[in-house]
Order: sequence, then structure tokens, then C-alpha cells
Amino acid sequence: MKDEHRLLIALQDLDIMIKEVKDKATSKELEDLGFKLTGLSVLQEARTKLASAVPKTLLNRYEKLAEHYTVAILPVSGSRCLGCFVKLPTSFFSSASRVELQTCENCGRLLYIP
Amino acid sequence: MEASKLISFFEEDLCIFHLRSRKKISALTEIVHHLALQKRISDERFILDMLKNRENLGSTGLGNGVAFPHGRSLAIKELTVLFARSAAGVDFEALDGKPTHVFFLILAPSDKGSETYLAILSELIGLIQKPAKLKALNETVDFPSLVGIFEGKDD
Ligand SMILES: [Zn+2]
Repeated sequence: MKDEHRLLIALQDLDIMIKEVKDKATSKELEDLGFKLTGLSVLQEARTKLASAVPKTLLNRYEKLAEHYTVAILPVSGSRCLGCFVKLPTSFFSSASRVELQTCENCGRLLYIP
Repeated sequence: MEASKLISFFEEDLCIFHLRSRKKISALTEIVHHLALQKRISDERFILDMLKNRENLGSTGLGNGVAFPHGRSLAIKELTVLFARSAAGVDFEALDGKPTHVFFLILAPSDKGSETYLAILSELIGLIQKPAKLKALNETVDFPSLVGIFEGKDD
């Protein structure tokens, strides 16, 4: 897996966490359980730093997808896109495709072969 | 959630009864490495980064010697719970500043909502409010005794 793809996956994990903290119901539930969620700004700084390391065009694609999907980048499993479960064409699994991120033609999510 | 349901999330292979690390990051690293050895995660780095970020949001060491590291990641396929115990204690930057002896790690896949792990968290936090249970968790050294704590044998 390329470094930029790894960065994007880490960014997605972080975005999911930030989204949870910003969600009032979730953060209230966590606070009621005793957790102190005081470091949102630290997460946002980490997010900015991580995003700046991702190539701009790739970041734009990801961010557009992330507006619609919680999971915008994900691995291929059993020759299917795990986002929309559509079966992927065999061309998806050619040797060149194993390095580059690909797009699911059905849902548009970014896919990689693990 | 009933105790029997709660215990069903635990597995003997995912218990560390003698955690070696004494510091926060090394403890998380040791725990994540254990998950990798048990083939429960696809990538140690992603999980560790996520857990570190979660700690930066606010320590999951809630005090009374118990911590609940948790979060969602693409590197985990299904809801996973790990128990770890340290007799010596870990400096986990807990809210009360005291060493942490008991860890419940909860990981959920990124495509599932937070409710998947919040329910378990809530049950576990309820459990440790009972002094006898907390004491037993601190002393447990094998899986049968851990199961016993959930089944109420230590009351
Ligand atoms: Zn798709």
C-alpha cells in the first residue's frame, strides 16, 4: 500500500472520531459515563497536519466522498466493494490495480486491494 | 445487557493477565501487538494511531485503576473486546492520577456506529462501580476467574 493511501485511511479514522465528538448525543453519552472530551482542538490540529500530507487531488476526492459516506476509502474483500457490495470487474485485480487506489463504479468509493 | 451477554464479548485469547508495560504508549503498543498476534487487526499502526488520538481527546483512564481505550477503525473487522491487567500498574494519565491496573479495550469497525461500543462501555463502567467486582478484576489471573466475575460468583 502506498504511503498516501495509508495517510488517507488514518485520516478517515480520525474524521470518524471527530464526527463522534461533534455529535451531541454521542459526546453526551460518553461524558455521562465519565469521559472528559477536552481535546477536540488537539484532534483538529492532528487532522490538519495529516490532511496536508495527502496529495491535494486525492484529498479532494476523499473529502467529497466523506460528505456522503462514513467510510469513503476501504479494502476490497471477496471481489466486492464493501461499501455497496457490488461485484467488481476482473480488470480490478490486474497487477497495476494492486498498487493504485481505484474507484467503485457503482458508489464511487475509493478502493484498495489489501 | 445481561452478564452472560457481556461475557460473550470476551475471549481467552484476547486477555492479557500480566501486562508488562508501565507507561501509557507502551501499554497501548503491547495491547495492539497482542491483537495483531491473534490476527484480529489488519494493521497495528492504524489501531495504535487511532487509540493515541483518542487519548489526546481525553484520557480513557477513568480512575479507580481502570481504563477503557476505545474507538473505531478501518483496521478492525468486527467488534473486539480485550481485557488486560497489570498488577504493578500503568501510568495511564488517569483522571485521578492513580496507576491503572485494569484495561478494557473496545474496538469497533468504522462502518458501524458508536452505539456498538457505547453499550458495552456503559455495562463495563456499571460493573466496576461495585467494589467487590473491581477488587476481583484487579486480582484475576485467568479466564475462568474473569468469567466468574461477570457471572456474579464474586459477590
Ligand atoms: Zn461500491
